[in-house]
Amino acid sequence: MSTETLTDIAVRTEDVWKIYAQEPEDVEAVRGVSLEVRKGEFMTMAGPSGSGKTTLLNMLGGLTRPTRGRIWVRDLEITTLSNKELARLRLESIGFVFQAFNLLPVLSALENAEFSLLLRGVPAEERHRRVRALFDEIGLGGLEDRKPGKLSGGQQQRVAVARAVVGQPTLVLADEPTANLDSHTSDALLDIMERLNQEHGTTFLFSTHDPRVMERARRRVSLVDGRIESDERG
Amino acid sequence: MRRTLTLLRLAARGVLREARRSLLTAAAMALGLALLMFTRSLADGGHEDWINAGVRMGAGHVLFQAPGYRESRSLDDRLSGIQARAAIAALDALEGPLAPMATTIRLSTNGLASSASSALPVVIHGVNPETEASFSHAAERITEGRYLEQDDRLAAYVGQGVAERLGLSLGSRFVLTAQSTDGEIQGQLARVVGVFRTGLPEVDEGVVHIPIATARSWLGAADGATTVGAILPTSGVVPEVVRAVRSDVEGEDIRVLGWREAYPQLDAALRIDDYGDYVFLGILFAIVALAVLNTVLMAVLHRKREFGVLQALGLTPAETGLLVFTEGLMLTALAGVVGMIAGAALTWGFFRDGLDFSALMSEEMTFGGIVIDPVIVPKFRMVQVLQSFFSIAVVGITASIYPAYYATKIDVGEALKFE
Repeated sequence: MSTETLTDIAVRTEDVWKIYAQEPEDVEAVRGVSLEVRKGEFMTMAGPSGSGKTTLLNMLGGLTRPTRGRIWVRDLEITTLSNKELARLRLESIGFVFQAFNLLPVLSALENAEFSLLLRGVPAEERHRRVRALFDEIGLGGLEDRKPGKLSGGQQQRVAVARAVVGQPTLVLADEPTANLDSHTSDALLDIMERLNQEHGTTFLFSTHDPRVMERARRRVSLVDGRIESDERG
Repeated sequence: MRRTLTLLRLAARGVLREARRSLLTAAAMALGLALLMFTRSLADGGHEDWINAGVRMGAGHVLFQAPGYRESRSLDDRLSGIQARAAIAALDALEGPLAPMATTIRLSTNGLASSASSALPVVIHGVNPETEASFSHAAERITEGRYLEQDDRLAAYVGQGVAERLGLSLGSRFVLTAQSTDGEIQGQLARVVGVFRTGLPEVDEGVVHIPIATARSWLGAADGATTVGAILPTSGVVPEVVRAVRSDVEGEDIRVLGWREAYPQLDAALRIDDYGDYVFLGILFAIVALAVLNTVLMAVLHRKREFGVLQALGLTPAETGLLVFTEGLMLTALAGVVGMIAGAALTWGFFRDGLDFSALMSEEMTFGGIVIDPVIVPKFRMVQVLQSFFSIAVVGITASIYPAYYATKIDVGEALKFE
């Protein structure tokens, strides 16, 4: 693979396995997945429950270590990194959106969204400017000071999206982001993410079995029993 | 720096978010601290009372004696007049917080008190009536008559038991017999001018005070003395005073004793009492530590997902542990401040004038050679407050270590699983 090609890659895996030791026999959650996601892609990983979507997503994000195989984020092999280095990678290169929103309840919407910038040491003025601009863009203007408990599900997930993209990461990993939202709210959220993808070039990788998400995706990978069954574009 | 501030802010909000749980934990720690302060103040106050009673019953916080007197109790091992004056000069040289509140000079010997009806072995203290009146515990415990006065010559101040067993009353005459410095048995006529009762049978039934001038003349001790002693403002200054006066009388062949050496029985009694206190406080602290450990650990388990999110966002495992540890520290600090205020309020607000245990003591209680005062006045010392705070800080910090360690070991993937 040429250097030029490497710079276009957001994340790449090579024969990645995840095996959980369990009685009476081990569980192979992910089985030999090799995958390449290019920068700017808007893709989904679909599959039934237990197909290994979330496990693979967690491994791509450096949250879970593979049992074997190798993973690169851009040109950096992350399977050999220490916990501290993985934390730094997540901070600088990866954004997460979770099914359960997972906002920090003690922080306001603005504080949640700016959290990764805060950890990166971005000055307050700059942080607030970037978050406010993003909030205005995704329809959260005026809700900056609200705590998560005072926001609707759709608003919370938009804050989570803002938190994931505000640091302009290489990759945003979204695990069932619409599963807890009604169809109208889901569509609105997908509009936002699609727009961020198109306007800012942010790479989105969804784990989902929501047809609305799959319809929007320009690439659809299907997982069954921990293996890639199909990989379609268009 | 900014990350540290962020962690501090998160920790503070974490503590405030679970206000009820935080308050309960802090309250348990604060109560522990307040109880610790109170019990330590009470123990210190009680011990100071014991020491005070002991040294007044004896010959002071600091004693000057001839080498060998302690073992022989013989007039042969007495201080000469020059030595006694050197000892008094050393005490007079003490200034400020070390300056003695009272001093005594005694010529003491074992002898026999005899009346027409009976005879009794006694300890005879030849004392300076002027200084002894403000020094001796016995001098304060008059039940009949008066204490010795400067002009007295044949006067005797006797314990109630001595008076009863010899059939003496005020004005009665009796004879004291003891071995003089030349080895001869000599008798001395004395007349009862006062009777005292301390509550200690060995004192009430075995001590007689007579003027030192009479004792010296009777026993042929010229201007000598067996003991020079001093009452100090507090027992805490004794080591410093002993050091100072030892250097002052160096080369005089004088033995200087602090109260612990002079009254080993009292010292042992205090150590036993302290040991009991430490066991009680150890149990109390173990309970508080378990309560804190339980609360902080529960908080970690309850917030596993939150810590998973923080790590997904870029916090390192070590920082996650630090966050939990900081929350524990904040709880400890809160409990420390509240506990100190509560402890001070409890000690000073309610028990400034002392705690009266007389209802629990049907008779006079003696322990370690002293009569225990049923009213204990707590003694509040800054060093004790700081020690108490330090103790609770150690408990809080220790109890936060395991939950913090646990937080560093969270499996982020597992923590973020949707349930």
